[in-house]
Amino acid sequence: MITLYDYELSGNCYKLRLLMSILGVKYETRSIDFYPGREHKSEWFLKINPLGQLPVLQDDDLVLRDAQAILVYLAARYDHSRLWYPLDNPATLGRIAMWLAFADSVTATASAARLHDGLFYDLDINAARAGAHRLFRILDEHLWFAEREGQNFIATRDHPTIADVACFPYIMLSEEGGIQRQDYPAIRRWGDRFKRTRGFIVMSGIFPTSAAKP
Amino acid sequence: MAWFTARFPPPPADVAMTQLYRPDPTTLNSWHIVGARDELPLGAKCDSRLLGQPIAILRRTPGTVEVSSAGRSLPVLDRFGYVWTSLGIPPADLFAIPEYFESDRRNVNAATFGVHVSAPRAIENFLDMGHFPFVHTGYLGEEPFTEVKDYDVVISENPAEIMATRCRFYQPRPSPTATEGFDVEYVYRVPHPFCSVLYKSSPTDPARMDVIALFLQPIDEEHVNASMLLSVLDDINDNGQIRRFQQTIFAQDKPILENQYPKRLPLDPRAETPIRADKSSIAYRRWLRSQGITYGTIPANT
Amino acid sequence: MTGYATTAWYPIAAETDLPFRHVYHAMLLGREMAVWRADDNAINVWENRCLHRGVRLSIGLNEGTELKCQYHGWRYANGTAACTYIPAHPANAPARTIRNRTYRTRTAYGLVWSSLDPIEDFPSFPAIVASEPLALRAIPLNASAAETLAGVCSFDGARQIGPLACESPDALFLIQPVATNRSIIRGVLKHDVAAADRLATLRRYNDLLSALRDRIEAAAIPLPEEAVEIPRLLPAEPLPGGATTSRPAPHRVRVARKWSPAADIVAFSLESIGEPLPDFDAGAHIDVHLPNGLVRQYSLTNAPGDTGAYVIGVKREPDSTGGSSALHEVVREGDLLAISAPHNNFRLARTAKETLLVAGGIGITPLLAMARSLAASGQAFHLHYFVRSPQHAAFRDDLAGFPGKFTVYEALDAAATRSRLAALLVRRPDGGHVYVCGPAPMLEAVRELADKAGWPEDAVHFEYFKNARPIDDSSAFEVALARSALTLRVPAGKTIVDVLRENGVYVSTSCEQGACGTCMTTVLDGVPDHQDVFLSNAEKASGACMMPCVSRAKSARLVLDL
Repeated sequence: MITLYDYELSGNCYKLRLLMSILGVKYETRSIDFYPGREHKSEWFLKINPLGQLPVLQDDDLVLRDAQAILVYLAARYDHSRLWYPLDNPATLGRIAMWLAFADSVTATASAARLHDGLFYDLDINAARAGAHRLFRILDEHLWFAEREGQNFIATRDHPTIADVACFPYIMLSEEGGIQRQDYPAIRRWGDRFKRTRGFIVMSGIFPTSAAKP
Repeated sequence: MAWFTARFPPPPADVAMTQLYRPDPTTLNSWHIVGARDELPLGAKCDSRLLGQPIAILRRTPGTVEVSSAGRSLPVLDRFGYVWTSLGIPPADLFAIPEYFESDRRNVNAATFGVHVSAPRAIENFLDMGHFPFVHTGYLGEEPFTEVKDYDVVISENPAEIMATRCRFYQPRPSPTATEGFDVEYVYRVPHPFCSVLYKSSPTDPARMDVIALFLQPIDEEHVNASMLLSVLDDINDNGQIRRFQQTIFAQDKPILENQYPKRLPLDPRAETPIRADKSSIAYRRWLRSQGITYGTIPANT
Repeated sequence: MTGYATTAWYPIAAETDLPFRHVYHAMLLGREMAVWRADDNAINVWENRCLHRGVRLSIGLNEGTELKCQYHGWRYANGTAACTYIPAHPANAPARTIRNRTYRTRTAYGLVWSSLDPIEDFPSFPAIVASEPLALRAIPLNASAAETLAGVCSFDGARQIGPLACESPDALFLIQPVATNRSIIRGVLKHDVAAADRLATLRRYNDLLSALRDRIEAAAIPLPEEAVEIPRLLPAEPLPGGATTSRPAPHRVRVARKWSPAADIVAFSLESIGEPLPDFDAGAHIDVHLPNGLVRQYSLTNAPGDTGAYVIGVKREPDSTGGSSALHEVVREGDLLAISAPHNNFRLARTAKETLLVAGGIGITPLLAMARSLAASGQAFHLHYFVRSPQHAAFRDDLAGFPGKFTVYEALDAAATRSRLAALLVRRPDGGHVYVCGPAPMLEAVRELADKAGWPEDAVHFEYFKNARPIDDSSAFEVALARSALTLRVPAGKTIVDVLRENGVYVSTSCEQGACGTCMTTVLDGVPDHQDVFLSNAEKASGACMMPCVSRAKSARLVLDL
């Protein structure tokens, strides 16, 4: 049985809720009072994840932290289509890993800005925003050229992978940190395409898009 | 009406905050919330801003909090679990919420969030039901149940408050414990230009009301810290569950509020297009005008 | 923004920025725009604010024929930008004045262009000789248009050829002035590029321009942000045919096509010959002024938002007093006709969870519009179409657009029809509504059967084609205009504003719901019957003013200061 240690407003937790919804994986939620309770820094939680971070996923005896790591596990274990994390395609796996690391940088910048503006975290907001813009420029350029070659998703042509899941939340929530996406039209288009994935669910702060076909 | 566009690299944080403009007397001489008391660290000074002015908050002991601005000591009120202060000469007391003091109440600060919007816009959003099916889909509303039925609005003079009653809306999941949808009845009250209180009948005891209040700290004309007080009859859920639901709901409103422009509320009735469902907002805008409140607004005839 | 003409045309997007069902967020001279391509390929460039509470439309939903605002679900139609649906009041038509501000647009050189106030001619760039001009990847910069222009003109052998344009041996570079300290370089290649080389060429320019961008930004000196006036969203002048002119002026259309989709039915496609056709919602009809002087009403079959041409169907009535026979025999393709703006007495409320559409014969026309509307927004419905014979089933090809959602019943006699209707209505689906249009006996049958099966009255909707609105004199009253020396009679079913307009008296309105206060008028005598939500109780009690768009009179007579 899967247990997800979860906070509703965490983009990282949402990555897992999203993938599990898409894959149709059942799980139980253990909600953590991240704010204002700071329960993720409590003694009992630090025993589960010494880094004091969400999400954590427990599947029987396996305990995993880090959203990207958990995405890898969930896709490898539960995706029978073998499309979200194609184990038989090393080049794609390499690309996915590259963009999972990129997603981590997005967390460090765009998510940090969001925590600063919304939850009063004390950090260098200018550096966070500047860092996010730098990353968004890189991703927009990547997606623009991908589109020219008929590639609709970050690492793959026709079907999204966990790389898209990993990058999606904090990019779509970037405005909450004062980072507008007006200059990144390719990212905006990718966001629409990704939202049309079957099984897609939202989190607070993200809205659905229109249906692709009537 | 300058409008702030995002820039890279972004401007120094202070540029947006500098206010040479003096707030209108009503706003200046009101009590304003500046934080949840029990969340303030003991013995450490916290910096904040109120009406564009830097303030410092110090919780000396668990029960005493001091607020100062530019070295000047400000009046302090401890009410509803929050610290209130004023940069002017505030009234003798703050508005009342009798339910808060009932012995079987659970009083919880759901959260305090920073939002890049003016206080009046945030109040209007809190008063609005028409957005429930679109912004709070599956929780407070669902298409095609979009109709906002007629309701009543009264503005009273003493105390100066707005009340909206007989508000009804079909909600699929109106509270953390609800397992099915029903027509929920609301009463809305605006007892302060930047505070609003919502009453809905308690699932635990239908004869009494649960209270959800929105208290806004006007950081400046286009930024607020929004705190949500829940004063509910609930012996099933823990604080975490109560907070979670409210945070989920509020976080759905946040991007909408932050995508409204102008950020300040236009008081000219012809600037935007209200409909009959907006009765309480219409009353609120006229009420602000009648009290001479201009903070966070674009006054009429601008 | 000083220095750049609002009257000129500027590129604001690339054609490839407008894929299916997407909304692009543009900005020009500090003005934000929502840009979207409708399913019919028309490009809309609108003020990026919902008229209701100013929420950005760029976070809204492109539903193919309409843009839906994320906040309260207000819908705006392709082309006209008229608000066609306000979900909070599903039974009321939005006032015709609720129409968003649109900007003119053109596409050229692979780019989408617009202008805030297009007086100047659209620019041409004869240097672009490619048969299929290739637009480069746009490069946004955090630098003013002037700084960007200076940077571009010292690049790749380029020289300035216009206020915001540079030309190099192979490309044209257009600078879009976004805001005080923001601009975008939009390059277009002058010559055709072989397909095999396109990607490499695009990459090469992208790399060069990105490096240029970094240099320009590093040297840029930010100017103080200029105050940009966020336009007041005052009610737009409604389109011709709308009711703020002193007399409802007929709208002129040309018969673009006339054909016979079924035995004894003729269909017309009516195109505007000037201003765009006014928008409407499903169930609406137009008055058609026939060449013989008669006026007849015909339902529009179009989906809302489909305002390229109105499509109506006309059945030949054997006992026609000249209406249908004129249309069948006299009117031809190319002829001009005068029509009214659409009116709607048969509104489709979108609050039903499931909708049954029941059409008899020519009654298919308004129901086809409803089916299209429901299909476009993905709502559950089924259309039941009763016809005398297969040859009498009109618009069959259009029905093919909703596979599985329609059934045609051919050649059923009265008893069989009745028993079929009974089966359809026997159990009301949860939240279901039924709309019927057809011959009177069919309507009566449905009314009876629905009532017997327990359908609530407000879930059953009829349109009688023999249209006669009953006037109840007992709720009529008189309005005397003190300053215009006019006394007018206001009948039930018409508002004071309606009657004023019909008599050439202009009153400014906006929401037409008694909410905004725009039409507030002083009352000199008489007792108003307040129906608005704007006035305070004290104001209402004083009786000194009223909102003529919704309010009426308690006394037999009102005297207004108009």
